[in-house]
Amino acid sequence: MHIPDGFLDGKTAVAAGALAAAGLGIALWRLRRTFPPRRVPLIGLAAAFVFAAQMLNFPVAGGTSGHLIGAVLTAVLLGPSAAVVVLSSVLILQCFLFADGGLSALGANVFNMALVAPMVGFGVYAFVRRVAGGGLRARLLATGFGAWCSTVAASVACAGELAASGTVLWRVAFPAMAAVHMVIGVGEAAITTLVVAAVAGVRPELVLEAPLAARAPRYASVAAYGLLVALGLVLFVVPVASGWPDGLERVAATLGFEAKAAAPVASAPLAGYVVPGLGRAVPSMMLAGALGAVVAFALAWLLAWVLTSRRPAGGRTRALETTVAA
Amino acid sequence: MRGPAVEVRGLTYRYADGTDALRDVSFSVAPGERVAVVGPNGAGKSTLLLHLNGLLPENVLPIPAVHVFGTPVAPPHLPAIRAQVGLLFQDPDDQLFCPTVWEDVAFGPQQLGVRGAALEGRVARSLEQVGLGGYADRLPQHLSRGEKRRVCLAGVLACEARVLALDEPTSDLDPRGRRELKAILRSLPVAQVIATHDLELVVETCARVIVLDGGVIVVEGPPAEVFADEPRMLQHGLETPHILRHRHPH
Amino acid sequence: MSSRLLNPYEHRGSAIHRLPAPAKMAFVGVMVCTVVLVPLGAGMIYAGCAAALVVVAALSSVPARHLAWRLLMLEPFVLGVAALSLLQPEGGRVFAAMLVRSTLCLFAMVLLASTTRFTDLLAALWRLRVPALLVTSLALMYRYLSLLVDETGRLQRARRSRTFEEGRAFAWRSSATVAAHLFVRTSERAERIYDAMCARGWRT
Repeated sequence: MHIPDGFLDGKTAVAAGALAAAGLGIALWRLRRTFPPRRVPLIGLAAAFVFAAQMLNFPVAGGTSGHLIGAVLTAVLLGPSAAVVVLSSVLILQCFLFADGGLSALGANVFNMALVAPMVGFGVYAFVRRVAGGGLRARLLATGFGAWCSTVAASVACAGELAASGTVLWRVAFPAMAAVHMVIGVGEAAITTLVVAAVAGVRPELVLEAPLAARAPRYASVAAYGLLVALGLVLFVVPVASGWPDGLERVAATLGFEAKAAAPVASAPLAGYVVPGLGRAVPSMMLAGALGAVVAFALAWLLAWVLTSRRPAGGRTRALETTVAA
Repeated sequence: MRGPAVEVRGLTYRYADGTDALRDVSFSVAPGERVAVVGPNGAGKSTLLLHLNGLLPENVLPIPAVHVFGTPVAPPHLPAIRAQVGLLFQDPDDQLFCPTVWEDVAFGPQQLGVRGAALEGRVARSLEQVGLGGYADRLPQHLSRGEKRRVCLAGVLACEARVLALDEPTSDLDPRGRRELKAILRSLPVAQVIATHDLELVVETCARVIVLDGGVIVVEGPPAEVFADEPRMLQHGLETPHILRHRHPH
Repeated sequence: MSSRLLNPYEHRGSAIHRLPAPAKMAFVGVMVCTVVLVPLGAGMIYAGCAAALVVVAALSSVPARHLAWRLLMLEPFVLGVAALSLLQPEGGRVFAAMLVRSTLCLFAMVLLASTTRFTDLLAALWRLRVPALLVTSLALMYRYLSLLVDETGRLQRARRSRTFEEGRAFAWRSSATVAAHLFVRTSERAERIYDAMCARGWRT
């Protein structure tokens, strides 16, 4: 989901960069105040861990395999603010060292994958955990569903940024990104849940206790993060999705194409590309999204049940091997 | 008349789960003396070293059990103690945490407030002392194990430590790395406490050896005498090193 | 081995290599901004940027094959995203413009990575007053990256040499367990690093 250079226009890149900087700033501020000093080196090491873990193969079919993204994994194991810094570090390294993700798009990539993903994912995790109880099964369910939501949310933000830049039409970007990432999200949910369950098998206290932040998050910082995510949605997704296609096409047309006839831009190109029944497309997309979420939740529940059902009474889970390798 | 560099009196330490790690350990190290601490695995050697610079609190006596050059190893004095006692960890990768060699060697002095030309001087001198003169710009991930160990050593020397506490300094070094480290240790005039399994190293470099088993000192004395007592060595999970049986060129 | 893969910087004595990191970062920044902010069809400006980059590449004495290979590895992603832009009015021109712009910027970033040490970039960030916690985290990540990648490889090999099962489900469980063990080890190492930092006088 790394956006390369050249796909975002100036205003979108700057807006996303501002939001990313603000979010990162809040995370750093919170960590300085609440993260136990003994754990501070872990932030940097966890970034190296995420990078290394992203190289692990999770074979899907034929020669393809899935890979970990790691937003919710980091948030569950280290807390959401640490996750923001960890993921930002990974993205910065990938941008500068491997040109994976453009420099002008760094703000957007950080916003999508280091802010939206862990925040949405951890928010879902915390909510589901509170509702479903504190046991291991509930946490695994919360982890899985949270990971799925984080992937989809990040992709929606990404689609919004691409559409707001006029690079891709919203009605193309949104279904494409959302649909693909609803599927990828299942893989991410499965991988994240398996890893968290494996960590619980080796060191239960890392999972079953509260995340490593010393104090419970204060309302102010929760509100601040939520505000940032909402602001991003407002800036990138709402205008494009809410039916300003005319304005968007006009902007796209004037950007690159001189000598276009002054014909009404809105109708002619649209006729060739519009999905039949445009008026009904938005609610049907929302229905598809809701359905996807229900399916993902059910799958997450199933996985959590499978992983914890073979637990001997009162003992450590043996659903996965726990012997230390090498 | 100068006092001992390190004085340990009645040091007792218990782990969180209640097992004794060290029981009433007492010994002293004179300035410039090299003392080895040997014993089977789990004897408490590493734990002992961690007490020398205050990383572990002793949790029994009201009077601090460890004194370094007369200063007690206890909270108000810890920053000064840590500047004087250079601890070398068993895994150099845990200690070499800066992105370049120069930054890592400079880390200690920087914490002590050294800046500018004085800092450059200390880093350069320390690297020379360990034979890594041109290594300032190198990246740790490209160094061999022995080189990493030496950079860590340079890092504590740059703090102008007067006591070195080394945890298994020659473990997993190849023969050349071992020879080089041995030569460096012999060239340094500071007091050294070396926890090791390398009994040959003890014979070759140390004036005195302490045998630790089950958290208790069982015997202490010159290596040739202590190691010659084979039955006792075997009893404590050690043995008489071959160097005492045959002549060895190194 | 793996550290070569993770480190695109190759030490050469060229003039570009010797330039201070902030200057190179500024050059790349200006280049990227220019390419991104000009109108889509500004062919002359793209050509000018391309020429400048080619000159810098030549001066840097980084082998052309190395640069080309790195660019080639990154193009598929660009193509994939750009393909979406085809599905709109005048999509072809948008697509072409996107391709040209990203390739130019990729070229600039690859040049930067090949001629500048990451540690110098970090030092430049530090001087730019980027918060200490972030720079320290980036430094630790960079320092331990190859170590953790090697450790991952070792854990995987050890696991594989003791298993007799095949199949996807097993591969998933295996990778997950490797990740878990890696995290636990990383967590323990982080504590030892904290001790090492304190041992040399670091105060929080």
